[in-house]
Amino acid sequence: MSESTAQALIAQQQRRQILQQRWRLPLVILASLAVGFAMTAMVSEEPLQAFLTLLTGALPRLQWSPEEGWRLLRMVRFGAVIEDAVTLTFLGLAVALPFRARQFSLGADGQMFLAALAAAAVSLYVPGPAFVVLPLVFVAACATGFAWGALPGVLKTRYQANEIVTTLMLNLIAIQFYRLLVSGCMRDPGAGFLVTPLLPDRLILPLLLDKTNVTVMLLLAPLVVGLAWLLLMRTTWGYEIRLVGQAPAFARQAGVPVERAMWLSMACGGFFAAFAGVHVSNALLKRLPVDLTPGLGYEGLLVALLARNEPRAIPFAAFMYAYLRTGAQAMERTTDVSREVVLVIQALMILLVVSERLLPRLAEAWRSLVQRGAR
Amino acid sequence: MTPELLSGGLLLAGLLAAMLRAATPILLAALGGLVSDLAGSVNVALEGLMLVAAFFGVIVSAHAGMWFPQLAPAWYPWLGCLAGLLAALTLTGVLAVCHLEWGADLIVAGIAVNILAAGLTVFLLASLVGDKGSTAALNSPVLPSLHWPVTADRPWLNVLLNGAYGQGHHVLLYVALLGAPLLALFLKYTRYGIWLRAVGENREAAFNAGIPVRQVQYAALLLSGVLAGLGGIYLSMGYLSLFQADMTAGRGFLALAAIFLGARSVAGTFCAAMLFGASTVLATQLGAQQIPTQLVYMVPPLVTLLALVASGARRRAKARSS
Repeated sequence: MSESTAQALIAQQQRRQILQQRWRLPLVILASLAVGFAMTAMVSEEPLQAFLTLLTGALPRLQWSPEEGWRLLRMVRFGAVIEDAVTLTFLGLAVALPFRARQFSLGADGQMFLAALAAAAVSLYVPGPAFVVLPLVFVAACATGFAWGALPGVLKTRYQANEIVTTLMLNLIAIQFYRLLVSGCMRDPGAGFLVTPLLPDRLILPLLLDKTNVTVMLLLAPLVVGLAWLLLMRTTWGYEIRLVGQAPAFARQAGVPVERAMWLSMACGGFFAAFAGVHVSNALLKRLPVDLTPGLGYEGLLVALLARNEPRAIPFAAFMYAYLRTGAQAMERTTDVSREVVLVIQALMILLVVSERLLPRLAEAWRSLVQRGAR
Repeated sequence: MTPELLSGGLLLAGLLAAMLRAATPILLAALGGLVSDLAGSVNVALEGLMLVAAFFGVIVSAHAGMWFPQLAPAWYPWLGCLAGLLAALTLTGVLAVCHLEWGADLIVAGIAVNILAAGLTVFLLASLVGDKGSTAALNSPVLPSLHWPVTADRPWLNVLLNGAYGQGHHVLLYVALLGAPLLALFLKYTRYGIWLRAVGENREAAFNAGIPVRQVQYAALLLSGVLAGLGGIYLSMGYLSLFQADMTAGRGFLALAAIFLGARSVAGTFCAAMLFGASTVLATQLGAQQIPTQLVYMVPPLVTLLALVASGARRRAKARSS
């Protein structure tokens, strides 16, 4: 092969990589939103209005009035975006860590429920000043999440039980256990519905933004993300987790403790899901209702997949998803389009992001078309 | 026969019939998953495929009278069945193209397909029916049930063959029961079955032996889509006569569990599906007692977990002894 053809090939390869890295995500987002718009247009009588609400409904609105001057309206809604983004960041980490070891653990839901339960139990039943009990709340929640996350890992390493199946079953059990306790021994007899007593005020996390539930968890989230990144990229355990995910056969040959990496990755996932549990109990709701909706874990899954399991990208993916979701709720309230269109958009984004050869193929087809046209 | 024995036999027959009914959707989906699993592609999208088939089956059969006025009403459910299958096939096709042509990770893409199906069905439900919960507002037909003429002197046989209320068993229940042995024969004795297993065992060797690997992979995935779709249609056009949001309720994943539990054999998968059906029946039976419902709902997942652990422990013991 002559040098010039080699260089041409290298140049082509580089072009492809640039295309992959730089254009992929924007193109994927645009294409998915376009499909979402097409779906909206098909069912709605006011598709433009609906889609505009979807895209901007989550933003606060600046309004000027002669009496009060400039005011930010709809802060409650934007607060909801930030609250969701924080929860989803933790849940995204909870999914991303096992996925890095190619363990398809879907157990974030159950881990979060049990961690929230543990946090509420410690808050309600352990006396003492806040600076002692609050750390205890976190420790209890994290230990619960870690243990419940490790369980499917052990089931897999010891009994080769497929983790997709076991985590889903463990979710069902965890949610029922949660409901059993909340409607049973942890129930507030004074309340008119099935709910735990209000957690003591001193254990509610301090508020950052008025009229919302944005608490210091917002500041903790970047730290936890940093912790996850450090664990994954700068420790031996993290290296083993990544190696097992990328090349399990090689890892085994090289003497890496594959089994430990497997269950550890899942247990760490549970550890991070626990923060979402504390966020739900000690910041957002301040008490636990029996009908806490399951399914948040799957939204964490969406976030992790969108961020391609890269911890540092997860807060951004979480924010984007929370933003779209809040916009979708606004859209559902004010127009005739239901909010599930966001699920479809997100699913398409994931499909397009993981379809790795799609973009190069399209680019090549386009180039050959252009060349043929030029000739 | 003494009266006690007779009533015991009736009860047992009723429970068996209930187990068959509960196991059918899981069995159909599990057979589908088994086909693609044996061809080397784990189809985790079974849940979503069941869901879209269930949805489109109901929608099309409910509207068939409006769209095809010259058609006899007896054909409406079959038209719905066809539409449901087509929907499941289309979605499987998307999954197959993403995986085989564009290099998407099959498990991640499968999870995405599940999310897509959950969102799409509720979105369309809200848009077409105006209700996010179910299609209770639509009057959708069900596929027919087969009723066997049984003499009155064998009531237990009547209950077993025709259900506790004598309404007969759903036609897809028989499809599932016949499908299992047919599938086993297909995999064992036909050329395409052997190709399919060869591709799953060793793709490169199969390719070098001249087997059209790509086509086999496509065919296996699409077949799994058809079978999962039948499972979904059974749910919405037989088990119930309407579509509910998220009506599969994890049965697609139970089907996956059945495959692993059955050690990737047809007979094993069949038994595992029956076990899951039985645990559902057990839960409904316990539901009548004075036990907190939350504990009752824990029974099916616990049975699944224990069964997986037991089969894993047995495999370990076997591996150690050999």
